[in-house]
Amino acid sequence: MNAALQFAERFRVPLCLLLVFGIWQAVHLAGVVPEKFFPSMPEIVGAFWRMLSDGTVITAWVTTFLRALIGLIAAASLGIALAILSDLSPVLSRGIRYVSDILQPIPPAAFVPMAVFMLGLGTKLYAFVIILVTVWPPYLNGVTALQAVSPVQVNTGRMFGLSRSQILWQVRLPAALPEIFTGIRYAATISLIAVIVSEMLAGRDGIGFMIYKKVYAMRSSDVFALMFLVACSGVLLNGLVALLRRALTGWHMRMMERPE
Amino acid sequence: MTSILTADAVGKAYGTGSNRLPIIKGLTLSVEPGEFVSLVGPSGCGKTTLLMCLAGLLAPSEGEVRFKGQRVTDPPIGLSVVFQDYSRSLLPWKTNLDNILFGMRRVTGMDKAAKRDRAMEILSAVGLTGFDGHYPWQVSGGMQQRVAIARGIAAQSELLLLDEPLAAVDAQTRADMQDLLLDLAARFNQTCLLVTHDVEEAVYMADRVLVLGPRPTHVVREIEVDLPKPRDQLATREHPAFLHARHEVLALIRSMRQRTVAA
Repeated sequence: MNAALQFAERFRVPLCLLLVFGIWQAVHLAGVVPEKFFPSMPEIVGAFWRMLSDGTVITAWVTTFLRALIGLIAAASLGIALAILSDLSPVLSRGIRYVSDILQPIPPAAFVPMAVFMLGLGTKLYAFVIILVTVWPPYLNGVTALQAVSPVQVNTGRMFGLSRSQILWQVRLPAALPEIFTGIRYAATISLIAVIVSEMLAGRDGIGFMIYKKVYAMRSSDVFALMFLVACSGVLLNGLVALLRRALTGWHMRMMERPE
Repeated sequence: MTSILTADAVGKAYGTGSNRLPIIKGLTLSVEPGEFVSLVGPSGCGKTTLLMCLAGLLAPSEGEVRFKGQRVTDPPIGLSVVFQDYSRSLLPWKTNLDNILFGMRRVTGMDKAAKRDRAMEILSAVGLTGFDGHYPWQVSGGMQQRVAIARGIAAQSELLLLDEPLAAVDAQTRADMQDLLLDLAARFNQTCLLVTHDVEEAVYMADRVLVLGPRPTHVVREIEVDLPKPRDQLATREHPAFLHARHEVLALIRSMRQRTVAA
């Protein structure tokens, strides 16, 4: 029993994948959904392999992933910069808060038509849509975290002669960084969604556009293969954020993980 | 001899108009070089506010504070505060050694290596040899407060303002830390002003106890503590002079509390 549990713990990732495969295959074989729309796992893997060998999927994936990554970096930097500005000026903070309250509930897809009219089809459109939906979690977490820094920490900085800006850079920002990263992590997911949606609605390349084409061509196994690829991209993007987070705020993660 | 720290008719109030809340009013005190002075008072009388004013972290509404003859407007060099909340005062993303080096950033006449040596020397003086590479959250509360004290001293401090530094550590550690503080004060020539709500601690540590009144607070009595040095946890606490001073302070605080309750 114990050995079985240990085995399950050790191989939990492949086991979960196997479970998903199994359920998928069972649904496929049960014939609940017409076969045309719900291909078997071997068909999906085969479709992926085909797209991989003709090279189309690689170019599309690199395009999409870079868009999501660059968009995330830009949005996170902008979010942190805005959080710092808001911290310096309460008036600006209130202003940005209104804007974010209005813009935040709008789904990325709703921005795309407007962006097409304003910016045309191209890089500017992606930048606009991604940043507009991705900037808020790092910004909002940044504002809250900067406000929440303990007055004792600030007074400690003042006692050792730090100026206001030195306190911001050397005390308050490092203290706020763990919570900012929680926002960036969330933003990573949104960034990928925004890219795929923009590519589907207004794109000429990338995975989103590819999915769109395949849907119209009724290539369901290709569509599913691409969806799995998107899922993997999400995991990869989160992994990159986690790496940076560990490098910059590793102390916080170890502090939280330590046994009491 | 000129006083190292003076407060002259210091007042501090929060808010304005009908919301004005006076915390300190007409407070005058002075601390001489090499002295160990304790400040005690009924709880909520504004001890921490006073300490912040003395440290230049809070601007008084009236009067003035002088450190070595210079008017205090910002935290001056040579004055270190040891806060009660050591877990927040130490920066958790810096190791113990880096926290101390952070406190030494205004220290002049030392290069990086010399600062490091000095920091290690003071760390070992507080009994933390071998813990320089640890993070504050990896060591016990008492050890964290010792790092904070070491950091205060390392900042080329002459005057330590201690804001209930031992209130959060357990009783056993507390007695050890009291003796360590007295030892460090003598060894590193630190003048100390200790704020505490523990009357026995105030008397045990001090050359002089200043008793604060209820809000708006000021010094209501000054009690000289004539006890032999070095102090000893057993002998000092059984000394007639200790018991006498303790009685005087406690009776005074109790009478103030009764008056406050009656009012």
